[in-house]
Amino acid sequence: MKTNSSLALAAAFALGCGVAQADDNVFKVGVTRYDTHSKTNGISGIGVPPGADAVTNDATTVIFVYERLFTPQVGLEFVLGIPPTIKAKATGSVAFLGDNVLSAKNVAPTVLLNYHFFSPGDTWRPYIGAGINYTHFSNVKSSLAPDVKMGNSTGLAVQAGINYAITKDIGLFASIAKINVKSKVVATSATVLTTTVDFRPIVYSAGLSYQF
Amino acid sequence: MRAFRSLSPWLVSALLLAACGGGDPSVPGSGSPSGAPTTKGTFTAVVSFGDSLSDIGTYAPATSLAGAAGTPPFFGGKFTTNETSNGLPDANPLGKVWVENLATSLGIVVTPAQVGFGASSVMCPAAANPAFATTCTAYGQGGSRVTDPNGIGHSGGALTVPMVTQIANHLTRFTSFKSSDLILVYGGNNDVFAQFGAFAATAAAIQGNPALTADQANLQLFAAQQTAEAAMKVAAQELVADIKTQILAKGGTYVAVMTLSDIGDTPFGNSLPPTAKPVLTALSQVFNLWLRDGLTGQPVQIIDTFTLFKDGYANPAKFGIVNNTVPACDVAKIQAITGGAVTDGSSLFCNATPGAPYNGLRTGADVNTWQFADSVHPTTGGHKIISDTFAAQLKSFGWN
Repeated sequence: MKTNSSLALAAAFALGCGVAQADDNVFKVGVTRYDTHSKTNGISGIGVPPGADAVTNDATTVIFVYERLFTPQVGLEFVLGIPPTIKAKATGSVAFLGDNVLSAKNVAPTVLLNYHFFSPGDTWRPYIGAGINYTHFSNVKSSLAPDVKMGNSTGLAVQAGINYAITKDIGLFASIAKINVKSKVVATSATVLTTTVDFRPIVYSAGLSYQF
Repeated sequence: MRAFRSLSPWLVSALLLAACGGGDPSVPGSGSPSGAPTTKGTFTAVVSFGDSLSDIGTYAPATSLAGAAGTPPFFGGKFTTNETSNGLPDANPLGKVWVENLATSLGIVVTPAQVGFGASSVMCPAAANPAFATTCTAYGQGGSRVTDPNGIGHSGGALTVPMVTQIANHLTRFTSFKSSDLILVYGGNNDVFAQFGAFAATAAAIQGNPALTADQANLQLFAAQQTAEAAMKVAAQELVADIKTQILAKGGTYVAVMTLSDIGDTPFGNSLPPTAKPVLTALSQVFNLWLRDGLTGQPVQIIDTFTLFKDGYANPAKFGIVNNTVPACDVAKIQAITGGAVTDGSSLFCNATPGAPYNGLRTGADVNTWQFADSVHPTTGGHKIISDTFAAQLKSFGWN
């Protein structure tokens, strides 16, 4: 991802140093449902019975969004939520281990380049965007192992949303996003368990926007 | 809002830089040793630490034909298909264990570091002949564990000097290790047996408790397995610590450390219910994991018996084996020969000398083409496969 990141960074600088006009900043606050559809490659490790697996739960949190518009149509959006706790429950042959075998807070900033349809001043303005999500897992805990580590994830994010203008400056928004979030989990106790979790989240958000 | 505007590109860049870092967490035990010698050794001694697999006759006096006197000749004494022996080195290939075979192939004589049973034992009995005073470097004893002096059979009189004490005894006698020592560290099997025995007892109690739901029973079995695995981790880490501080730091140069093989691949392992066998296998694997983890970056070579013996067990014909499921020693014959004292068919008391009245071989068994002497120990042929395999490994290291 190094090349991609540097390119995006260069793009961010190039665009960020461009023209600055009035009403080219948008601040949003909203509620997000982080709806995971996780899949793993199975849990492997010494002494783990075949068919051992786990599935992640969903989470709800508050997000903050800042978008800078470079043209009436194009903007760069930065999204950061209050890190929610995502838990995983054991499934398959180890379902007896229960509903909380792994928990972690995900710090998941996302940068998206958006394209807004229609014109400034229109009541309804749909938009689409694509960008990069970076997810860092903190407070990683497991009831099965005193030492658990999760790899960071860098992946593509795409979204579609709509803004509804109440006044010139204040509005409502709703969006749906799909993000690639994958993390390798290494849990160390007497033995070492590994798995790679593909969270496959669909993220539903809605809230208030303020343009200034 | 100017500050916010000028800040935002930096937030973005910090974010994206963070995205470049990180990566997957490392997995313990995935590294390798490094820095062991790569040149041919000039070996003058084979120094072996371990358990019954490496025992070249510690308990021979327990098998004295003279009865309780404990004097030669002995009809057993090694955990294999024995020959009738006077306890001295000889050229008869029958009843040799892998340590002896390997030493012979290097032109080196090796004798037991200690011989005896119960209250009476002698350190380095070969030293009675000054010519053999430095040959008593085979420390392996049946029943020995890594650090626990209370090994398998200890209450019945077996010495079971643990490996850490075996190593200490070598330093006491020889002061240090030498670059001309071929040092072989192969133990932990009896820690597996001890932990598996504890697990099996707990498991039987759990399974016999009608008050437990299936999930409760599974959770308790899981916890019992974790306890056994945690003990294997401790044993491996204690062995690693001893290898570092008492062998490598004391002059040990050519050091080969063996992983444990899958004890599931023995007549004993195959006698277990299908639910218990994976637990047994996992105990060896946990030991191997932490052995490998602890030896990562250390100047030793690992001989991975888990992989090597699995190949042998799966492909017996490749090694000239026609039977790897039935022990070559006869439980009933050994019971009769020992006057009813030995009821488990232990190969320690199994003599294979053709025509001898104390021959304990099963009718039709062959010590060269049957792999197992008893439920876990190899025959003469089984030991030859081990020594051939180890010799090939040493060759691949460039050591011989």
